[in-house]
Amino acid sequence: MSMHRLETHLANILLYGSVAAVLVFFYVPIATLIVFSFTESRFLSFPITSFSLRWYGELFASKDFWPALTNSALLAFVSTVFATLFGIGGAIAWIRWRFRFQRAFQALTFAPLLFPQLLLGVVMLLWFSVLGSWLDFSPSLWTAIVGHVVYITPFALIIIAVQVHGFDDTLEDAARDAGATGWEVFREVTLPLIWPGVVSAGIFSFLLSWGNFYITYSLSGTARTLPTFVFSGIAVGSSPIYPALATLTFLPALLLLGLADFFRRRAAARRAIPVKSE
Amino acid sequence: MEVKPRSWRDRGLQAATLPLTTVLMVFFLVPLGLTAVLSFQSTRYYRLVWTWDLDTWVDVFTHVHYWSIMAQTITMAAACVALCIALGLPVAYAMAHRVSTLEHHITVLIVFAFLTDAVLKTFGWVLFLDRSGVLNGALDAVGLGPAATDILFTPSATLLGMVYNLLPYTIFTIYLSLVRIDRDLVLAAYDAGASKTRTFLEVTLPLARPGIFAGGVLVFVLSLGVFLEPKVMGGGTSPMAAELIRQSFETRVNWPLGAALTLVVITIGAGTLGLAALVLMRLSGRREATR
Repeated sequence: MSMHRLETHLANILLYGSVAAVLVFFYVPIATLIVFSFTESRFLSFPITSFSLRWYGELFASKDFWPALTNSALLAFVSTVFATLFGIGGAIAWIRWRFRFQRAFQALTFAPLLFPQLLLGVVMLLWFSVLGSWLDFSPSLWTAIVGHVVYITPFALIIIAVQVHGFDDTLEDAARDAGATGWEVFREVTLPLIWPGVVSAGIFSFLLSWGNFYITYSLSGTARTLPTFVFSGIAVGSSPIYPALATLTFLPALLLLGLADFFRRRAAARRAIPVKSE
Repeated sequence: MEVKPRSWRDRGLQAATLPLTTVLMVFFLVPLGLTAVLSFQSTRYYRLVWTWDLDTWVDVFTHVHYWSIMAQTITMAAACVALCIALGLPVAYAMAHRVSTLEHHITVLIVFAFLTDAVLKTFGWVLFLDRSGVLNGALDAVGLGPAATDILFTPSATLLGMVYNLLPYTIFTIYLSLVRIDRDLVLAAYDAGASKTRTFLEVTLPLARPGIFAGGVLVFVLSLGVFLEPKVMGGGTSPMAAELIRQSFETRVNWPLGAALTLVVITIGAGTLGLAALVLMRLSGRREATR
């Protein structure tokens, strides 16, 4: 074998090996949780001697589970709506237009992404405590929603901005020439064109909010979501209901990613660009 | 695409930017300002007193305890950055240039792992690494003795958890810089007789440097605020800045101290970002000059 071939082989082994290793690394804790969710035993020890659905039953019977689930869903839904709406406006302003103070606008909308979440949560909690003492309210799910919107909007904005970047603006001009008003142009032309980006931003936002721990933990007061419910549970000692809960919370992520993939393929097919993975 | 100048009197511009700007000013900039103001106050008997002095700051800068935790945090963050780049670079390179048929599936797998609940995944690691966990169970089964590994509740476990949760950020930023590289430059190097290794080191790597750099900086800044991994996987044996901050708010009810410590961490993060922006500008400036 020539030196050149050997070099190529070694490089391939390194590259494919690293991808395989990192994928295994990412799925070690996930697989562990799924396997443990089916144990019969009260103690989480390996190897598992007998399997059952017992802990799923215990989870559904737990009275803290259902409020946490509905809180998580409400928080993720409302945050997603706001983050996506703000993201659409922000992305168009970032990419399509030039205006005074645009640099300041860009810096402001990007900055929350660069903050460790715990610190973002802490500084907002200080402010909500002050506001709460003036206006007589205490941290709740609603303050957590504000926190999530501040944290998630930059992510949504970036995803939509990528879509806006490849935008054909002659279509907007054509609609305007045909007599459409600004709002009509946006609704009939702009929005459908950037829709795939909007959908993925929405999905991404929902999952970021659904699995968020730090900001919820800081800002939700006594309201519990699934991540803070789990955190307070495992701080006391590991109960077998948490692997079952984990396995259930993986489901929406799986569903939404499948949905995102469907939209991506459809958008790619519509633009007649061959889908890369096939 | 044409970029259109707009005036602030434009209704569309107002609708697109003002709600977001208002929310961020009221709930992001004002809290930061408030944090700065609070760091100049004091507490007596667990109550906030408006004093406007430097006592809290003197406290922060004279206590060795705070310094050692800050040093520990920065060391862990730096180690996390090094590991994330070492692991992320080959994966990003493979995704950009090798596994083209599987690229999308790999991306989905990584995104899925990234987007699932971090608390649960960290708990999953505890179950995996625990004395009676999966790893020891498997090692025991192949005859390596019970409790062969004992890394849970050590700083190494904390670091493992941090790398686990932050690695996707490096993979995606490096990947973005790698796919943008002009393929012709790489082919030109091959034509000129350069080997694959040499082409990688002298063409691809320098062109990907901004992405590697950006990924590293992002991971560093985010590492400064981790709290879950030291608590759950490190077992509280190696306290980091975030735990210190949380304690000063919750256990000691000392808001000025918590605010000052928060500002110290934010300043380290922002300082790193500023420095990184300067270096990046120098890097791209040099490339313009040699073109």
